[in-house]
Amino acid sequence: MPGLEQDKRFVEILQRLVDKSVDGYYNPYREFTWPDSLPDDRMWMSEDLTSTYGTEVEAELSPAERCRLSRWESINFYSMNVEGIRELIIEVMRRIHSRGFEVPSDFFHHFIGEENEHMWFFAEFCLRYGGKIYSGPKLNSIGHKDPRVENFLVFSKILLFEEIVDYYNMRMAADDTLHETIRKVNRVHHEDESRHIAFGRELVGLLYSQLAVDASAEQRRDIEEYLKRYIVFSLRSFYNPQVYRDAGINDPLGFRERLLADPARRDAERKSVRKPMAFMLKAGIFADDLLPTA
Amino acid sequence: MSGSAPEQLKKWILDRHPEVPDIEPDFDLLENRLIDSLAFVEFMLLVSRLSGEDIDMEDIDIDDFRTLHRIEERYFRAGVL
Ligand SMILES: [Fe+2]
Ligand SMILES: [Fe+2]
Repeated sequence: MPGLEQDKRFVEILQRLVDKSVDGYYNPYREFTWPDSLPDDRMWMSEDLTSTYGTEVEAELSPAERCRLSRWESINFYSMNVEGIRELIIEVMRRIHSRGFEVPSDFFHHFIGEENEHMWFFAEFCLRYGGKIYSGPKLNSIGHKDPRVENFLVFSKILLFEEIVDYYNMRMAADDTLHETIRKVNRVHHEDESRHIAFGRELVGLLYSQLAVDASAEQRRDIEEYLKRYIVFSLRSFYNPQVYRDAGINDPLGFRERLLADPARRDAERKSVRKPMAFMLKAGIFADDLLPTA
Repeated sequence: MSGSAPEQLKKWILDRHPEVPDIEPDFDLLENRLIDSLAFVEFMLLVSRLSGEDIDMEDIDIDDFRTLHRIEERYFRAGVL
């Protein structure tokens, strides 16, 4: 991947982000106070972030049922982070100090270090307050045969994932109805992620401009379709039938179907991906803002 | 959706792959990427819904989903479908 070192703007931004990481370095193992339990008569996730928000189904739930559901939905959200971070650390680890990634490797050290710490505090939250980490089937994705495309897709998926998570983090960090421990986990993560997202946007934009030089219209369409499917896949991870079962809901799969079919959910989902969609459009990676129906 | 459960599964896949005319029962869906990592969870939940079997997402054998034939053997062998 020649060319990253020639991009003066990229090199400068990397240096600025690395400096910020060094200056803001903190000890995550001392940063949080973990109470023995969190109040179960309060929401654990902002109401407008829960997967039932705005739906007909929601109106059928009592306040106590909503609280209980918000507890398991929050454990699901942090579990998604644990699972997602495992994958992204593996991908970045594969590339650090390898050919083509000389320039961002210094940043990658901070990225991997910070993600390792995020994974620790998210897992800590899940295990302390939920007694479990949700997990899903592990089907290996088969890499793209063109390494340039594969690199681009890997960093695009990391960016999209971080942007969606950040929407949730920002909302919960600012929600004064939530317990301070919940707000703090989200606030601390958001602060680190703002650097990762700034980096991701630069790298993804650069990788795409290198690809686009000789990519055919069909290749570009395939890339767009795949990344849009990834967005829909990520949004669907918030509707976890295991969560509904743990929250005591009858027929978790039927419950999930009803939520997914409710038009109110499209608005909520759109809001959560507004920023990354705007970025993908502006970078020319997406030709339109339509999303597939999964 | 209409048709038997295995037919509905096939239709679900074909709807997402207009370039594929038909799927043989022993065709490897995973190896040939008719079901990729982005589609797998949704597909598995569909199998669960159609079979009425509560599939444990954390403890499944991926190979049970490899071909239409395997899925039918594993999830739809009650003979009532
Ligand atoms: Fe993170
Ligand atoms: Fe990150």
